[in-house]
Amino acid sequence: MDEFLQSLNIQVLTDAAVVALRILIPLLGIIVVFQCYSSMRRQRRDEKPLIMLENTANGEVLPVLCWENSVGRAKRNDIVIADDLSVSREHCVILRRKEGWFISDTGSKTGTFVNGEQTQGRVPVYINDEIKIGKDTFVLKRAQDYTITNRSWFIKKEGSKEGIAPFALMMLISIFTLFMAAEACLSIEAVDFQPLLIYAAFMAVAWLFYFVSTKVFKRVGFELEGLALFLTGIGVMLSVRQGLHQTYVQIIACAIGMAFFCFMIKFLQNPDRVNKWRLAIMIIAVALLGVNIVFGSIRGGAANWIMIGGISVQPSEFVKIAYIFVGASALDHLQTRRNFIIFIIFSAICIGALFIMSDFGTALIFFGTFIMISIVRSGDYKTVVVSVVGALFGGLMILRFKPYIADRFSGWGKAFQNSDNSLGYQTARVLTYAASGGLFGCGLGNGFLKYVGASESDLVFGLVCEELGLIVALTIAISIGGLFFYARAITTRSRSTFYSISACCAAGLLVLQSSLNIFGATDILPLTGVTLPFVSVGGSSMIACWGLLAFIKAADERTYSIKKR
Amino acid sequence: MKRVRTRSMFVFVLVLLFFAGITYFTVNISLNAGSWVQHSYNGHTAGSGGLEKAGKIFDRNGVVLAQTVDGNRVYNEDYNTRLSTLHVVGDNSLNISTAVQSVYRSELTGFSYIWGLEMPQSFRGGNNLTLTIDSNACKTAYEALGGMNGAVVVMNYKTGEILCSVSSKTYDPQNPPEINEENEKDYVGAYLNRVISSSYAPGSTFKLITTAAALENMPDIDSRTFECTGSAEIGGEKVTCMSQHGTINLDDGLAQSCNIVFAQLAYELGRDKMTAAANEMGINSSFNIGHAPTVKGQYDVKNASDNDLAWSGIGQYTDLANPMQMCILMSAIANGGNRAEPYYVHSINGSDYSVFTAAVQSGQAMLKSSTAQRLNDMMRYTVTSNYGDYMFGGNLTVCAKTGTAEVQEGESNDAWIVGFTQDEDAPLAFAVVVEDGTFGLTTAGPVASAAIQACAQSMRAE
Repeated sequence: MDEFLQSLNIQVLTDAAVVALRILIPLLGIIVVFQCYSSMRRQRRDEKPLIMLENTANGEVLPVLCWENSVGRAKRNDIVIADDLSVSREHCVILRRKEGWFISDTGSKTGTFVNGEQTQGRVPVYINDEIKIGKDTFVLKRAQDYTITNRSWFIKKEGSKEGIAPFALMMLISIFTLFMAAEACLSIEAVDFQPLLIYAAFMAVAWLFYFVSTKVFKRVGFELEGLALFLTGIGVMLSVRQGLHQTYVQIIACAIGMAFFCFMIKFLQNPDRVNKWRLAIMIIAVALLGVNIVFGSIRGGAANWIMIGGISVQPSEFVKIAYIFVGASALDHLQTRRNFIIFIIFSAICIGALFIMSDFGTALIFFGTFIMISIVRSGDYKTVVVSVVGALFGGLMILRFKPYIADRFSGWGKAFQNSDNSLGYQTARVLTYAASGGLFGCGLGNGFLKYVGASESDLVFGLVCEELGLIVALTIAISIGGLFFYARAITTRSRSTFYSISACCAAGLLVLQSSLNIFGATDILPLTGVTLPFVSVGGSSMIACWGLLAFIKAADERTYSIKKR
Repeated sequence: MKRVRTRSMFVFVLVLLFFAGITYFTVNISLNAGSWVQHSYNGHTAGSGGLEKAGKIFDRNGVVLAQTVDGNRVYNEDYNTRLSTLHVVGDNSLNISTAVQSVYRSELTGFSYIWGLEMPQSFRGGNNLTLTIDSNACKTAYEALGGMNGAVVVMNYKTGEILCSVSSKTYDPQNPPEINEENEKDYVGAYLNRVISSSYAPGSTFKLITTAAALENMPDIDSRTFECTGSAEIGGEKVTCMSQHGTINLDDGLAQSCNIVFAQLAYELGRDKMTAAANEMGINSSFNIGHAPTVKGQYDVKNASDNDLAWSGIGQYTDLANPMQMCILMSAIANGGNRAEPYYVHSINGSDYSVFTAAVQSGQAMLKSSTAQRLNDMMRYTVTSNYGDYMFGGNLTVCAKTGTAEVQEGESNDAWIVGFTQDEDAPLAFAVVVEDGTFGLTTAGPVASAAIQACAQSMRAE
């Protein structure tokens, strides 16, 4: 009898520990994401003018707030010179580079003069130079105390409490991931310490990245990287009990992604250099897609894979990065080369190639990103409307010639009615198993969705809901969606419109891709078979996500400022 | 740079849509998780999974029909009781989708979306269910079926409690068969609760509806007589009768089930009045029995020829009715026009067997009280003049109507009997269908008799 009681107590204690872990994981997940974002909202300079333009006629002072400023008569400009009809609506751009300040006339009617000489292209300007725009002449002055409160809601007041230190954040993520590893050790699939080995491997990579980032490159923030590690850690731990091989591949891909991230940041340092590479990047991207079409092999209905020396690669993932490169550019380029016909042609080629590969999910992401970039860079709704109409037409053509896509639409929203056939097999199981997980999940490795095909990639949101619970799933969604708010909050503080456009659109792309993944798997949209950024298993996708994150990182002006002290 | 920020508003809207979608999903899963988890493919509840900590299921007298012992689901120890209550109780799987172990699985297992399905054993706990059925009456009815397939339902028409509900083909939930391609012929419809999920051609039982339509629409109906010579030309083609009744009035027409009378009435009443009567009496409707809906019957004469219309009045043509639906109609006739709201589950609670109490309830009106009274008398007359009270054991005042529906020419018939008792101490409405029978009276009659006598005995003992 005593022995029986003892065994019962041990059972109760283990069960209590399991429940405690299940509650702690979402709790810690929320803390990690909260700390990342609240840190992003802090440690900002207030928006103070960098230099000023003093009107020689009346002494009026125009503050120059951004790194790139459009000057003109129209109200939407950064610096508005109103009531002077000889000033063009978008007259010129005053911009700052590492070398100093420049002014660039953007096709104005009356021209821009520096110290009496008409400018051609970008010319350097110095303090006390006289700049004539329209009738008036302005003197370039150093900024005095002149504060404008033009703060985004996202960013907190200066002087508020400091955000979490990168080291503390890294520790939090390590503990969060450790809890998941511990839970995975106790799965019904197997009880062993394999998950801890995986944990050690992943953490080794993560901490190495942390030290390189903070000590070698001396970067200030670690929040974006922290979010990516948080998401990657979830993906890795979900994958442990599904297959060890794919888990190690995922960790290696993450390491490559981190290296790529560092390279991208370095490469993006000079926005004008990027501009010179645009054509080359376009050619490489088109070539990649071409190689894919010729040598591609079919997997899951889409021919979007190529094999290189035993490793399968999905080139379209990398083309996403090229796409953002080509779409974004600096402000004076935006104002002088208004038409973006090259970008439209490039988009058409990319999307066309994806159609040939039958990779409609990625094609949809490209198309969505195309619209985002078009609008953000030009505000030209006409072109956008024309392309949407074109796309709708193209969409109808797919339905006409690819009947299996039309089938997906016929099964859409009727997962349970189609739970026995291919139309609803996956989505019905996602919903059932997501509901089986509850708020706290049924424990890593205890799920049944993992036996359904593509559960580690296309259906991974369902896997998260089942094994880690709805709270973690929502935290993931919020952490990805939040990237855009961050990117938008720092648009006017970026060092160039190149960064602000690319950051907004890269974040938009990640959100769009997450939408297609999450809503496709949960039968809110037709299933398109795209990955959930950082969480889904997939090497190419992982590397590409780090690349996209680099755009957002680069938009933060702190990235390129050397740590004080 | 300001312009970039303004234009990024477009992307902002897209991101808001993303969050709207996430919110939609969250609301949806919170509301529907209980039903989403209940699918036979769900690995968390497959096998005996999910029921390891489920509560007990009692019948109205506290007999345990299912319980979990050491993590295994154990059903009633009596073999025939298990077989007769299968479709109400259910088995470990979710194959019988209307059974309480499927419909109330969340309640039985204590499922809440907060903890999901894999709460560790130590912290799980389920609720007990007390059903309205009397397992002894079910067993008696099942044994009376004698291996034939069909459906038996008996309810208290004052309270709506379903006392007896048996569906066959059935199987043993303790040892469920592996149904595969080889043996599926032996288990046709085994996963269906025929009482609420099957519909049959109603045959002569439909004459009650035709009678009601005539009573409400033909003021001179009581003074009318009809001529039956075994067949007649109605609507341009022949309608046949089982015998030659000669000159016959409405009451005897129903008592002796003369086809000519009701074919003629349906033809005279016309499509609109017949359809209106059938709709009022719920033939084309579905009723909710707890959380499970009944299958709809069918009365559709839109495209019927005049002769088809005549045949539809005697429950042929494309007419269909469901046993539970007929039982509900009987409750309405017995209750002076108001139907009962039948239910299987009396109570759900965490403690043990809860003492059975049920209140008298009055449901929606299905027919005028005067019509109900007339039908009541006519159905009583049918028993006294034709079937005989001895058929129901002699201590019940039964009103009934049989039906023999030709499923397909040359094949055997579906035998029906529907009716109710007039006894205050045992107010029972019933419907019985037996597949592949000979006649309603000879095949279904004895089954109904056994079932209502068992129910009456149980009620009188309480």
